[in-house]
Amino acid sequence: MANVLAVLEQRGGALKKVSSETLTVARRVADGLGGEVHALVIGGSGVSGEGAGTYGADRVLVASDDALALYQADRYAAAVAAQAGAAGYEVVVVAATAMGRDLAPRIAARLGCALAADVTDVRFDGGVIVTRPVYAGKATYTLKVTGSPSVISIRPNAVAAVPDERPGATDAVPVEAAEPKAKTVEIKQPEKAALDVAEATVVVAGGRGLKAPEHFQLLEDLAAALGGAVGASRAVVDAGWRPHAEQVGQTGKVVSPSLYFAVGISGAIQHLAGIRTAKTIVAINKDADAPIFKAADYGIVGDLFEVIPKLTEEIRKVREG
Amino acid sequence: MKLAVCVKRVPDSEARIKIGADGKSIDETGVKFVLNPYDEYAVEEALKLKEASGAGEVVVISVGPDTAQETLRTALAMGADRGVLLKAGALPLDPLPVAQALAAELKDGGYDLVLFGKVAIDDSSHAVGVMVAELLGLPCVSAVAHLTIADGKGSGEREIEGGGEVVEFALPAVVTADKGLNEPRYPALRGIMMAKKKPLEVKDAGLGTGGLDVVSLAYPPERKAGRIVGEGADAVPALVDALKNEAKVL
Amino acid sequence: MSGQAVPAGAQATLPRDRLIVAETPGEERIDLDVVFVGAGPAGLAGAIELARLVRGDNASGEGIGDVSIGVLEKAASLGEHNLSGAVVNPRAFHDLFPELKIEDFPFGQPVRQESLYFLSEHRARRLPMPPSMHNTGNHVASICEIVRWLGEKAQELGVDVFPGFPAGSLLTDERRVIGVRTVPSGLDRDGNPMATHMPAADIVAKVTALSEGTRGLLTQAYLDWQAIGAENPQVYALGVKELWELKQPLDRVIHTMGWPLPRDVFGGSFMYPLEPTVAALGLVVGLDYPYRDLDVHELLQRMKLHPLFRKYLTGGELIEWGAKTIPEGGYYALPARLSGDGIVLLGDAAGFVDVPSLKGIHYAMQSGIYAARAIFAGLKRGDTSAAALQEYDHLVHQSYIRDDLYRTRNVRLAFKDGFYKGGMKAGLMTVTGGRFPGKRIPMHRDADVARRPGGSVTVPAGDPLVISKLDAVFKAGNATRDDIPSHLLVGKDVTPEMAEFYTHLCPAGVYEVSDGKLVVNAPNCVDCKATDVVGPRWTPREGGAGPAYKRM
Repeated sequence: MANVLAVLEQRGGALKKVSSETLTVARRVADGLGGEVHALVIGGSGVSGEGAGTYGADRVLVASDDALALYQADRYAAAVAAQAGAAGYEVVVVAATAMGRDLAPRIAARLGCALAADVTDVRFDGGVIVTRPVYAGKATYTLKVTGSPSVISIRPNAVAAVPDERPGATDAVPVEAAEPKAKTVEIKQPEKAALDVAEATVVVAGGRGLKAPEHFQLLEDLAAALGGAVGASRAVVDAGWRPHAEQVGQTGKVVSPSLYFAVGISGAIQHLAGIRTAKTIVAINKDADAPIFKAADYGIVGDLFEVIPKLTEEIRKVREG
Repeated sequence: MKLAVCVKRVPDSEARIKIGADGKSIDETGVKFVLNPYDEYAVEEALKLKEASGAGEVVVISVGPDTAQETLRTALAMGADRGVLLKAGALPLDPLPVAQALAAELKDGGYDLVLFGKVAIDDSSHAVGVMVAELLGLPCVSAVAHLTIADGKGSGEREIEGGGEVVEFALPAVVTADKGLNEPRYPALRGIMMAKKKPLEVKDAGLGTGGLDVVSLAYPPERKAGRIVGEGADAVPALVDALKNEAKVL
Repeated sequence: MSGQAVPAGAQATLPRDRLIVAETPGEERIDLDVVFVGAGPAGLAGAIELARLVRGDNASGEGIGDVSIGVLEKAASLGEHNLSGAVVNPRAFHDLFPELKIEDFPFGQPVRQESLYFLSEHRARRLPMPPSMHNTGNHVASICEIVRWLGEKAQELGVDVFPGFPAGSLLTDERRVIGVRTVPSGLDRDGNPMATHMPAADIVAKVTALSEGTRGLLTQAYLDWQAIGAENPQVYALGVKELWELKQPLDRVIHTMGWPLPRDVFGGSFMYPLEPTVAALGLVVGLDYPYRDLDVHELLQRMKLHPLFRKYLTGGELIEWGAKTIPEGGYYALPARLSGDGIVLLGDAAGFVDVPSLKGIHYAMQSGIYAARAIFAGLKRGDTSAAALQEYDHLVHQSYIRDDLYRTRNVRLAFKDGFYKGGMKAGLMTVTGGRFPGKRIPMHRDADVARRPGGSVTVPAGDPLVISKLDAVFKAGNATRDDIPSHLLVGKDVTPEMAEFYTHLCPAGVYEVSDGKLVVNAPNCVDCKATDVVGPRWTPREGGAGPAYKRM
């Protein structure tokens, strides 16, 4: 039986949003192979796989132990490899989050199998076919997975989760209590709650249109409402309004958020080069001819000082509602 | 301290990528190749550790084509002591064969620490370093932004969601380097001249083909033309609606 | 007098004590036998020829032994700071590589057809081609590809090439040149060392060959230090160039004159097919234009909208942009001597460019070859004094370099009186093989030419063929870090008028006027050197700063 193992992520005992995407991908592959999706949830005592059935898990395997409350690479890799090795899964799917990027290669190495890492799409067409952006998104590979078994890691936000109600019967699985070779001894809280603009899923960037550094407060409010980071065009960084760490484009960072707001930014090509791989770009500018509108998916032509506060208000409503 | 750093020859991040005639690989004419930027942090860290310990050796290893010798020479110019090229044609996209070749080379080297960059900017697998550690049965901390090594033990700091974690391990071990680990030195003129004389061994990598077949390599789809949703603050509800229900990013 | 600004009055002087340094070489020192400053066609050809002579000598028995040859280059990678049209005469390639055939050389396609047009705003009138412009046997080429190819050949021969190392000073022991000092890197905006700081290094060599290209800094400093003059001052043109991928193939070399240039401005355009669907396109304008508001980049943008060009460019893609000056003074601007104790001057830095045929690459390479021969002879005898290296001067002056430049010695200079008069004189010169008018036409320095308001051009916004200066700098591959110290020396008395002149002068948008004051966006600079000729003076930045040309 060609079954698929979906390794899910949890926080505080409950499944994270990205796990529904992992399950959707696992479901696609399993349907193609004619097999089942088994979800594996690893965590501390009390961790639950509730909700996995909604997104396609036929069974939910729970590996629960106090020692597994926090991600420990060796222990998690051992738990997955034990499960995958024992039951002979054809494909193991992991989300390519920070944790998944560390875990997926370990699983593949322990199973001695192929790894299709950081893919943005998976489909079944006579075999498992994956889509993989390379060269910082300048080109895309279409690859056929020929290795058996194989590990696939899927980028967060790349595949929309699709509900597919399945039994999701839960079973506990035994946990090995081996001492990890590399052990987490301390968790540090970040000094500043600021998200790195290159890592954030939502970025709100401002340019000269903001007219003065204090006006960036408007963008900080919007970013906070969206749970995102503030970015800056080169012009305002040069003017000393924002730190270089926030600069997007040219010698600043290349960002790949799901949602990017360009506020009061005209759209010089060095800026556009920095946001090329953003999924959705929204431009707000009072100049209808600004080049940024050509690059944006959605735009509002108007005074940002009126538009942004209204937008922040509406976003808050959506988030709360 | 005996240190090994695994490095990769990659196209410069500013390179214009053109797809070759076969539709499965890039056209390399005129493309500038460089030492993978994340590997620079790894090389620099190894050099610092060797300098701090007063004695030792830094060996740089690469799996790649003949031209990867230039990449190794760059690392030698930075201060590494010798280089090893495991020669291979086009690298498979499946990281396992490369990891296996490196693990075989590193196995009996008696290295205290093996360093990698956390990811190669061409294929973005984030995999080879961690895989090599697993194949060698060594402790591994990936994406390290701060590293301390003392008395046969090490401690690495890495970013995790909502903060950072400190991971401890005993040597020998493997770490993969993230941006911010250090400031890589530029090769000095003298370093460049001396690099020519440092030993560089070339052997066959003997790579397997791996379990991923290239169907095609293509340019990303053109962005669909966007639309102006409206004017002024009155257009905000329409925008929010589009983001929520059309783009599904809210 | 308001309305007329003379650039020379606002220019700073280059700090001689920083450029000519009489110090014992420091700790960061390497010793070479010969160092070439600048890995362009001249420097690389020189290094290759010298390495071959040494190899041949050693193979024959009583050899000269090991001769260490180094080439310094300020760009991060070979070719990244090189820019030219270009249509190349292969003769210097044949001289350097007698065993290779034309198909082995790094050229694009051979020139098959050529046309010369006189443009007006809407029309293009074919003109007969002057004999000096015929390009049979020549090839369209990218100087970046040539330089990378030469660089490989040099390294195969054991030459050390050092990209990322600009030379900032000549080292002397009071009398002779003993080498060069590089520019330190890793300084912040205020000049303080950061973590990446690398101090200057001293390269001590028996012979220093300056192959810095157009408006070479150390070349200027040397000529000034040694009070070496020329019959005329060197004069320059600014070329702004784009590389396009075409939907509509181009089957010929095109040159144009006339529109959009005003009648009292010297210049013209070129369009060369590197491949049928890859074209190099540019506008070259003499920097002695009398206008404050003339902007070569904007003129090029306007020019592309002419039906002649629009036809080829529509549907195409601009893949690269760049700019560079060209020395146009010709024969009478050549320095009185081209060598000295421990030093030789090569290529564009010395002024070996023939304006009527628009050629410089093969002269540059040939000068490198002659320098190598003179240097080799000197090293063999253990004598690298001025007397020994003067052999280089002899070789150049007995060669086709001198003959070609002498024949066209007054052609460019004739145009200083305006296009029509100049055109007539130039025509007569060509027909008489240079015998008319015979005598030298005196020339002003570009910086001494007064600039009056006027000369601006309006470019319609939003046309897909047009690119702004800001976007153009990005297309030059310029990723210079934003906090780099400014390398431009601004004079003390820059009036708002002069600041206005600078903003139009610079193709890369380095200069802006804000509240009547000059703002300098130094990281934008693409090292074209136009600023050095008539504006703030240029000094080298840390290695790798500036453009990153790939196929210009």
